[in-house]
Amino acid sequence: MEETFVSKTFPLKPKLKPTSKTSSKTPESRYWSSFKTHETPNLISSVPSITFSGVAPHPFAAAYSASLSLFSPQTLERTHTINSFRDVVSSASFRCDGSLIAASDLSGLIQVFDVKTRTPLRKLRSHTRPVRFVKYPFLDKLHLLSGGDDGIVKYWDVAGENVILDLKGHKDYVRCGDCSPVSSDSFVTGSYDHAVKLWDVRVGDGNRAVMELNHGNPIEDVLFLPSGGLVASAGGNSVKVWDLIGGGKLLYSMESHNKTVTSICIGRIGKEIGDEWMQYRILSVGLDGYMKVFDYANLKVTHSMRYPAPLLSVAFSPDSKVRVIGTSNGIIYAGKRKVKEGAEESSAVGGFLGLGSFSEQPKSRALRPSFYRYFHRGQSVKPSKGDFLVMQAKKVKLAEHDKFLKKFRHREALVSALGKNNPENVVAVVEELVARRKLLKCISNLDLEELGQLLMFLHKYCTVPRHSALLMGLVKKVIDMRAEDIRNSDKLKGLIRNVKSTVQEEILIQQGLQEIQGIISPLLKMAGRR
Amino acid sequence: MIRGGRSYVSTSPAFSNDAKRLLVCTGSTVSIFSTLTGLQVASLDGHTALVTSVIVVPASSPGSRILCYCWTSSLDGTICYWDFSVPEMIKKIDVHLPIFSMVIPTLLKTPADSERSSDLYAYISAQNINKSERPKPLIGQLRKFNLTKSFIGGITLKETQRPEIITVCPSGRFFGILSKNKLIIWKVPDKESDQAILKKIVLHHTKKFSVLAFHPSQRLVAAGDVTGRILIWRGFGNRTFGKPMKYDEDNPGVRGDDDAESCSTWHWHPTDINVIAFSSDGAYLYSGGTEGVLVVWQLDTGKKKFLPRIGSPLLYFVDSPDPTLASISCADNRILLLKMPYLGIMKSISGIKLPFYAPEAFKVMCAGYAFDRAGVVALRTEDFHVQIYSLLDDREISEVVVCERNHQPADEITVVVTLVTLSQDGSVMSTVEVRLPEEDIGGLTCLKFWTSTSQNNQFELSTVIYEPHRDSHVSSVAFRPNRPMAVTTSEICDFKLWVCNDGTHRKNELKPSSGWVCYAVGSYKRRPLTAAAFSGDGSVLAVAADTAITLWDPDRNELVGVLGNTLGPIKALSFIGQSEYIVAASGGPKSQLSVWNMSQFTISWSYMLQVEAVASDQNSSTFAVLALLPKSVIQSKETTFVGRDGIILLFDVKQPQPVASWSVTKAEGGGLAFVEANQLEDDISPGTRKHGLLAFINGQHEYVLFDPFNDQELVEHSVLVRKSPAAEETVYAGYASLYGELPEFDWKKNQKAASEVVIMPSERPWETIFSGSSHTLPPLTKLCGAFLEALLQKRPAAVEKS
Repeated sequence: MEETFVSKTFPLKPKLKPTSKTSSKTPESRYWSSFKTHETPNLISSVPSITFSGVAPHPFAAAYSASLSLFSPQTLERTHTINSFRDVVSSASFRCDGSLIAASDLSGLIQVFDVKTRTPLRKLRSHTRPVRFVKYPFLDKLHLLSGGDDGIVKYWDVAGENVILDLKGHKDYVRCGDCSPVSSDSFVTGSYDHAVKLWDVRVGDGNRAVMELNHGNPIEDVLFLPSGGLVASAGGNSVKVWDLIGGGKLLYSMESHNKTVTSICIGRIGKEIGDEWMQYRILSVGLDGYMKVFDYANLKVTHSMRYPAPLLSVAFSPDSKVRVIGTSNGIIYAGKRKVKEGAEESSAVGGFLGLGSFSEQPKSRALRPSFYRYFHRGQSVKPSKGDFLVMQAKKVKLAEHDKFLKKFRHREALVSALGKNNPENVVAVVEELVARRKLLKCISNLDLEELGQLLMFLHKYCTVPRHSALLMGLVKKVIDMRAEDIRNSDKLKGLIRNVKSTVQEEILIQQGLQEIQGIISPLLKMAGRR
Repeated sequence: MIRGGRSYVSTSPAFSNDAKRLLVCTGSTVSIFSTLTGLQVASLDGHTALVTSVIVVPASSPGSRILCYCWTSSLDGTICYWDFSVPEMIKKIDVHLPIFSMVIPTLLKTPADSERSSDLYAYISAQNINKSERPKPLIGQLRKFNLTKSFIGGITLKETQRPEIITVCPSGRFFGILSKNKLIIWKVPDKESDQAILKKIVLHHTKKFSVLAFHPSQRLVAAGDVTGRILIWRGFGNRTFGKPMKYDEDNPGVRGDDDAESCSTWHWHPTDINVIAFSSDGAYLYSGGTEGVLVVWQLDTGKKKFLPRIGSPLLYFVDSPDPTLASISCADNRILLLKMPYLGIMKSISGIKLPFYAPEAFKVMCAGYAFDRAGVVALRTEDFHVQIYSLLDDREISEVVVCERNHQPADEITVVVTLVTLSQDGSVMSTVEVRLPEEDIGGLTCLKFWTSTSQNNQFELSTVIYEPHRDSHVSSVAFRPNRPMAVTTSEICDFKLWVCNDGTHRKNELKPSSGWVCYAVGSYKRRPLTAAAFSGDGSVLAVAADTAITLWDPDRNELVGVLGNTLGPIKALSFIGQSEYIVAASGGPKSQLSVWNMSQFTISWSYMLQVEAVASDQNSSTFAVLALLPKSVIQSKETTFVGRDGIILLFDVKQPQPVASWSVTKAEGGGLAFVEANQLEDDISPGTRKHGLLAFINGQHEYVLFDPFNDQELVEHSVLVRKSPAAEETVYAGYASLYGELPEFDWKKNQKAASEVVIMPSERPWETIFSGSSHTLPPLTKLCGAFLEALLQKRPAAVEKS
């Protein structure tokens, strides 16, 4: 009651920042940006294919140049590299039990390796041109599917190293294919002749596809969605979703990429496997450097991320912990999501025993005044329902510079703010000093080391648009007032040089922007006239 | 007619004997406030000019505590004697001299000191209006006045250049005045008579004094000077007033041949001292000054305690008879009631904020007041607040912190709230604050929109816009009636329309974003825009572009028309009610008032007038103008305009002859508005009235509300005094908190078992019994007897209850 009349101390507040309307993150985009990115640089050339093993702990393989590397999903580091290729590796695929891996290269050769020993077990030789994709069918350990620049899709018997079927429907390079998750006999392939073809090995006639979908662009990637009834194809700037059961009807065309979409994969959002909240998304990457998350249930792009290079491949681990993206300049961005240990354990236990909770948690007994611990509860104890709360007036938190300002020690306040590495606060202190008419006095009182600190700050932030009006004026004043000191100290001279280069850079940027404005404004004028 | 907005801090207030009332001089009246609720309960009307002092007759015995008599003196040359419990005037004495200060030392003397003489004498500081023949006129006079026989005693104690304030010793033995760097102290004669000779001493200092105070019991005087030093003389006047004892001792610190034992100096205050007071027991000294910090000095040791951040220069400190209560008057027209031993602020009595003097650079940007239709005015204050003040109740409603900054009253003003605007229904407020740059670095203009949450006018910040017109300041803000839209104009040739999106149309957003966003930008021929106004129905926006008036469609942001040229840049625009006319006031050397016809795009009529404010009535075709009188008229000493410098003219738009006119004082910086006063409808005229009341607020923030159309009945309606009996709860402290108040002990009555006074102890004595330090409790010797009596008394009371 009494405090309301006393005039309060106001701590210094930095200027408010405008909040953009999309700044509030949806839970989904928070999920997708929770993958902490880990870079694996210096692979020799582009990464055209990344694939995950289907068994825990889900290691993944990335093809680049003439080698295939296996990565650990825990450390995201390379564990082994297979180098027995004669040409650039184009594609790789794990068998469903994760013990074998098939890889194709541009010489037309397909090799099958043992994952543990990395020895080549089989060499499948039939393609006359570079092979672009190789795929193990779902839950089928014996066969293999491949396609290449000769336009022929081949269905292999791996053990005998011979081709069972030659499917010759495509009129151009076959670039991609995927096997149905519900049937080990049917699969789709995509080709540069704009067509997605659905094949069934049970159909005798090898040249006629069961279904043909026209994407309209050369197809870069094609994918069965987990239900098995939908197919997504990527080509050109668009990702299209097709309904196979409905006779190949186009459901939606997602066109938010600016350049060619190179790869798509299935992503999962949700806590654990089997969770009812689990939802599937299509992750697509393109040459424009964007990774987009497409919710094909709501037909909406829910998240979008930018990478600094054109992206060629994407893969998402089956336990939804790792997301790997390969670029055209030999960098792999592997992202790992933190999963709570407890959640992991319980799912593992539940999986093992098939039981829910088998041991009851010992409940912590309620503290009563007769207990010794009752009197050592500490501050964090929540008040119970019947407790009478004595509210204390909220204390105003004062930062160090606030305390100095309260004592009218202006120079110390400025120095303290400079030391704290928060540019907003420094600007707020400078503004307060302006309002008190003490800034110039303050500058003239700084000793050389503090002046260096100030110059360092100005070098960093004087061209930030939010503060430049204030800070550029400050730079001028500092140079005017402390010219003598700066001239006598080499260190300060260096700092001034830094400031100068920052300003020059900014001037160049401004000139560039003005040029652009000059180009655009006549266009806008013309557009407005119409 | 309602007058209000008077200063509460023109002179020091006084507490009543039971400390439940505070008597405050407010202009020509004395307002009585309750110290418990902080609300006004009564007022003493009778003087015709500024009341300069109020003296409550102290209670000579504990029994007479309930007596409520006081003396007041005024500039109209009268001294009045009041019973302020009723309240009524008992006696009026005419002195024929304007009285600037009055003390009555005899009242303060305890009866044991001297047997009361039959006559009561006052010492008055008056202005001598007769003498003017001397080259350096000494117009201030210090005289003795016999209140009983009501005539001025023969002696003039002192003549000064200006009438000085007299300070009296709490024991009534001495009084003194300040005269530049001299301190003049008189001893009140033991036996008062008309011709009694008063002895005086003079104490010197090198600086100009600003305030003085006497110790309640010892022979000790403290004085503050303009540099912030406090000088304390101990044993002053031993030679002159007392028996001459030792002459040969050295007097440390005493200047020259001054008559004092010793003089010590304390220096803490950085600027001049306005307040010096001793606590009633004489152990502490209170001091305060421009920097707004009350310092409590322990008199023996010089140790300090502070009450900081009062936020405004302190003017007076008054101790009450209740040891737990004191009051401070602040320069921002606020009286704070302090809980004494630990200096907690209990209540604050706020009057209308006084005008502040902004530096020259701000002068051009600042604009007066914001009124809404319900009779609420928003005023800018020096400490970055906006005060919302009810004109009808003459009471502060709320205060809005515009800029969250710590205000230092002594500092140079660099941050100022320059504009404040209320929407017509009073639900939205906009403020503009400006920070002046220091040598061209760091200037900032900031536009803020506030929304009132409910009827209680508590404004909450809605939107902050930094630099709304780049680095130019905002010249005016106007709200659109019936629609959440506002316009701001700037000197750099553009105006912006702002709309409030309340976030209802956006469903998917998690948090509805409500705020004001820019809707449209416009400019006219790159001319500086100076004023803006919306028409009554909000369909037309008028923006003054230097000398032309441009009319816009605010929804589509299209220029509709341009009205000709005025002689100077336009300062103010106003649509006149429902008519097709618009009135413009232009400044410059050829200032002009012009009325324009919007349908014909022509000037209708105009006057050469220096207009300070324009207000138009929404429901009729009349408007009122506050104009400054030209210098020649003021200097010509025409009888009609004595002391007046402004005139309010009421026009009907059809003809250029004014319907009515009133001359006013202190018109510069004044404001004018029509308000709807439904609350007073039955009070003033029972008939249906078409027009609103006209509110005029002058440069000193004193205001008057009147009905402009029947000025014949300028009956003064005093401000409605809202009593709140429920809040008048008594709070006991110390002894009384345990056992209730002691009754007048009457043995005979007590023997009759049925005593009428039922004494019950206050319900929770433990809450207040320890609230004071031990010196606030009655002495043990007194307490013991009373304690036993109370015990005796309690039993029959309890029996009676059961």
